[in-house]
Amino acid sequence: MTVLAPTGRLDVAGAPALKYAIGEAVKNGPPKVVIDMEGVSFVDSTGLGSVISALKQIRGSQGELRLAAPNQQVRVVLELTTLDRVFPYYATVEEALTGF
Amino acid sequence: MGTGHRRFEFHATFSGLDEGLDILHDSVDRLRRATGRGPDDRALMLFETALGEIGSNVLTHGKPAGTERPVEYTLRLDGHGVVASLTDSGPRVHEHLSREMPGHEHEDGRGLAMARSLLDELGYERDGEVNRWKLVKRL
Repeated sequence: MTVLAPTGRLDVAGAPALKYAIGEAVKNGPPKVVIDMEGVSFVDSTGLGSVISALKQIRGSQGELRLAAPNQQVRVVLELTTLDRVFPYYATVEEALTGF
Repeated sequence: MGTGHRRFEFHATFSGLDEGLDILHDSVDRLRRATGRGPDDRALMLFETALGEIGSNVLTHGKPAGTERPVEYTLRLDGHGVVASLTDSGPRVHEHLSREMPGHEHEDGRGLAMARSLLDELGYERDGEVNRWKLVKRL
C-alpha cells in the first residue's frame, strides 16, 4: 500500500513529480495506491493527465488507485471532464484506505 | 453579483513556465483580495482554472525557439466581471473553439475544451505574428 501526497499545484510544472512517484510505486509489484489530494491547491488538465497516466500504469500492473480529499477546485475539474466516473474519490485518506 | 465601481488592473510580462504560472495565479489572488472574495468563490475559481489552462498553453507553445518576445498579460475588472488577455508569439492556433473534450483514456487535449466550458467568453485572434487570447468571466 502506498499513499502519495503531492502538494501545491498539480499542473504542467508539478505533474512530472507525480508521474515519477507512481512509476516507483509500480516497480514493487501490483500496487495499491492512494493519492492524498489534501495538499493539492490546484489541478489543471496536465495534472489530470498525470493522474490518468497513473491509473493506466497501476491497472496495467493489476493494481488499484484511489483519490482522497480533493478540494473544491479539483472536484469541479473532475466533474467537468466527467473523470469523476473514472476516479471515485473519498473524503479522507482513512476512508480511501478502508477495505482497500 | 456585479463588480460595480471596483477597479482592478494588473499587468505583467513573463517568459518562463514556472514564473508565468506563478504570476497568473498570484494575479487572481490579488483580485480576490481587492474584491473581498474568498478562496472558495466559485466564479473566480472557475476563471482561475481556465486561466491556468490557457496560460500553460501559451507558455508551452507560445514561445518558439529563437524568440525573445515575452508573453504579455493583463487582468482587469470591467462592469460585469473579470477579463484577462494574453499575447504570445507562438504559431497560429487552429480549431481552438471546436476541440471536444477527449475520452477518459486520453492523458491530454482537455485544456481548451475545459477553458471554453468554464468561461463566458474565450476569444482568440491571430494578429500579424502574435496570438491574442481573451478570457471573460462574469462575477
